[in-house]
Amino acid sequence: MKVRVRFFARFRELLGNEIITEVAEGTTLPDLIHQVALKNREGHNAIFDEHGHFREYVILMRNARRVDIADAATQIVADGDDIAVFPPVAGG
Amino acid sequence: MLSERERERYKRQMMIFGDAGQERLKKAHIFIAGAGGLGSPVSVYLAVAGIGTLTVVDRDVVDLSNLNRQILHYDRDTGRKKTVSAEEKLRAINPDITVRVIDTTIEEQNAEALVGNADGIVDAMDNYPTRYLLNETALRKKIPLFHGAVCGFFGQATTIIPGQTACLACMFPKAPPKEVFPVVGVTPGLIGMVQATEVLKYLLKNGELLTNRLFIWDGMQAHAEEICMERNPRCTACGTSCEKPGDKK
Repeated sequence: MKVRVRFFARFRELLGNEIITEVAEGTTLPDLIHQVALKNREGHNAIFDEHGHFREYVILMRNARRVDIADAATQIVADGDDIAVFPPVAGG
Repeated sequence: MLSERERERYKRQMMIFGDAGQERLKKAHIFIAGAGGLGSPVSVYLAVAGIGTLTVVDRDVVDLSNLNRQILHYDRDTGRKKTVSAEEKLRAINPDITVRVIDTTIEEQNAEALVGNADGIVDAMDNYPTRYLLNETALRKKIPLFHGAVCGFFGQATTIIPGQTACLACMFPKAPPKEVFPVVGVTPGLIGMVQATEVLKYLLKNGELLTNRLFIWDGMQAHAEEICMERNPRCTACGTSCEKPGDKK
């Protein structure tokens, strides 16, 4: 099945605008993002900490709905999902 | 009551707003937190639009490295207080409004008093701890917070109406690490215009506000999109203390 992962701001600079990828049945949301972020180590490290957990400020959206990063591991990706991953932009 | 001079000054926008709308702007008081990259364009455009009272707060001195984006400050202002520079420019741009500047750091102890009786807060800060403070102040005073933030060619903006919309802490419960962010002046220029437009719409009670919507701009792609946001019932800032939806000021 196919899903789309989109990155914004700093994550986009490191990982590109969007990745459309094939995923196996039963893939969780963190697993999916791990897989696509691995193409750039710096990008991966911007999203995940050294234990492989989402950094606490990462914002996740699935099909335009917010997913709490604490609950992300319980979310199984479905065909056609649109996932957005972004950091809060901070400058002024 | 608008003077003849004001009628002439605002003639072209009064074609949209009418007398009542322009009067509403004249009676309004907007608090602008920061006279930097976002605060510069926001304050200039709110001044020319005829917002009756602008309060601008900043603690910094103009540095040469600010001048690629902070258009309120000129080369000759390097080393001067940003508030002094801002007051001079805004008064020159529109002497028909009241400009108040306060040279201080926005902190927990003074935030509420600084905002005073303002009708809305523009977030033109560069860090999340102060943004959370402005968010809490807006929630307590039940006045809107017009959020904006930039990094490089990326920017974001949203309008927070206490009791009705997701607050800043609902959207961004954890602050990103503090860093020296890259920025090119056009990005705060654009995001500042989104914020200033939101202020005008709010005061004029017209149009659709950016409520529960995070506007995201990617200048390199020339692409804008929005992400729907919702109140977080577990939010530490507004989860239990907010007024019910519909409780307008």
